[in-house]
Amino acid sequence: MRRFLIRRLLLAVPTLVGVTLVVFATVALVPGDPVSAFLGPGAPPQAHQELTDRLGLDRPLPVQYADWLTHALHGDLGTSIAGQRPVDQLLLPAMGQTLILSAAAFTLVLVGGIVLGAVGALRPRGPLGRVSGALSTVSVSAPQYSVALLLIAVFAVRLGCLPAGGTHDVFGDGGLPDLLRHLILPAVAAALVPLGLTAKVFRAALGSVLAGDLADSLRARGLSRTAVLRHCVHNASPALLTIGGLQLAYLLEGVVFVETLFAWPGLGHLLYDALTARDLPLIQGGVLVVAVAFVGVNILVDTAHAWIDPRVRSPR
Amino acid sequence: MTVLRTGTSARGRLPFRALRAAALRRDAGLLLPAALAALLLLVAVAAPLIAPYDPVAGSLRVRLLDPGSPGHLLGTDGQGRDVLSRLVWAARPSLIGGFVPVAIAATAGTALGIAAGLGGRVTEQALLRSLDVLYAFPGILLAMTIATLMPAGLGATVLSLSVVLTPAVARVAHTEVARIRTAEYLEAARVSGAGRTLVAVRQVLPVVAPVILAYASSLIGLSVVYAAGLSFLGLGVPPPTAEWGAMLDDLRPSLLTHPGVAVLPALTILIVSVVCNTLGEALRRRIGDTGDLAAEAVR
Repeated sequence: MRRFLIRRLLLAVPTLVGVTLVVFATVALVPGDPVSAFLGPGAPPQAHQELTDRLGLDRPLPVQYADWLTHALHGDLGTSIAGQRPVDQLLLPAMGQTLILSAAAFTLVLVGGIVLGAVGALRPRGPLGRVSGALSTVSVSAPQYSVALLLIAVFAVRLGCLPAGGTHDVFGDGGLPDLLRHLILPAVAAALVPLGLTAKVFRAALGSVLAGDLADSLRARGLSRTAVLRHCVHNASPALLTIGGLQLAYLLEGVVFVETLFAWPGLGHLLYDALTARDLPLIQGGVLVVAVAFVGVNILVDTAHAWIDPRVRSPR
Repeated sequence: MTVLRTGTSARGRLPFRALRAAALRRDAGLLLPAALAALLLLVAVAAPLIAPYDPVAGSLRVRLLDPGSPGHLLGTDGQGRDVLSRLVWAARPSLIGGFVPVAIAATAGTALGIAAGLGGRVTEQALLRSLDVLYAFPGILLAMTIATLMPAGLGATVLSLSVVLTPAVARVAHTEVARIRTAEYLEAARVSGAGRTLVAVRQVLPVVAPVILAYASSLIGLSVVYAAGLSFLGLGVPPPTAEWGAMLDDLRPSLLTHPGVAVLPALTILIVSVVCNTLGEALRRRIGDTGDLAAEAVR
């Protein structure tokens, strides 16, 4: 197990190096001169020279990369152009908000995906199975921004029963119930795509176990339906783990739209603002943080997978 | 099997009508989404004939009419432009954003996958590890990052989405090549003097192509959604051109006051995405499932 973990961590190193290269390249490769773009036309040549010096843009690219990487490793991601604040100070509180939203959405993904998938696997040909299959397909196909807008139109505007955005009421005592009320719509909007995918994968995994030798032999031994099902669910769970981990990454992707539309002050919202302002250091920092988190989640998933399934542990 | 049982008449003959009904039932899952997709293409091609108004010209006297208003079936937007006409015209850039990146990614991904599968160990590892790096970014984030480097437009959308989709295709192609690369007929081809390129094009490509075709078709819906998403973020087609994602953004400020109009682009993208994915699924089931759920998961 330890050997597996070391191997997996070592494998992540080149990936992470590649990630930093790509993120760095996004700024280095911007066509045109970022300094004149930032200063605007009519800026005195002195100011131009000064800013170029301060940003170190006249040095060779490999030197700039090494410098940027050293700073990034120390948590210094530069200064946001639009916000005039250190990027890490902007990113940290936003990450907390995204974590709250992702946790809520992930709960929906797991519960909904397992229920929908199990129904489909248990009644593959019946009307219930068809409905669950169709629901999964619609759910997978539902773009987060579409769902978000439709939910706001129905629940916030027409019915007026849930808030259209933000994390807390402006007037009021705040508190957990208020936060939860604000979480419902964004969490649903973020959850639908990964929920549908989880349902599909779990349905396929559980379905193949239920149709396989294991289920047959358990039934032949006279186990009750629920006991057979319990064993089969256990057997299908590695697939659930793998897909569940990947869904965490999806959530990170979906939050760009969901947070923007629901005015949720998380990473996605921050990235959207950075994008509209062309605030390159902030874009760079945000993308780097998300990509590193993504790689980390993948390592966690692989490790957990190896832990419950010994076959994965031994290298091929 | 059910077909045979229900189709066999008392005299043991298969009545043509029963067979045809069974075949239709089997094909309905493919034909219905295919027909809808064809309709969509038709709308895009015949946009000038279908759209009742100019998609870019509006009149401030008819701002924000609700759907069902006389003269404007689906209402008007904040600049008084006819929403139906804009939705129809928008099918063009939006469908291009869905289809072209997939076509490019399918071609590039197949080439990369075959190269990795047939090349030496070093080539294989180098290619796969580089693709892993692109995998380390959630799709829309990578697309956003690449698109910010370019002037906003359809070109930025197409190029960035091609880069995002290529690794997934390459991985599927590589898996397929790895499965057959020790097959005897490849060995036979090599022994009879065929070079690497010839083996790749004549022996390997025909095996990989149908799998890629099926897989790529299931990516079109995703690409439509991503393309509209990029436009929504202001990275796609610049205004005033009508595009579904850009329309979504245009109408967003009216959501609280005119939800009936504001949800129309969102609904359109949702429906198109469902149609594309249903078609993709049906095609995959028909052409041959890759069975690669992991590859599907990383879309």
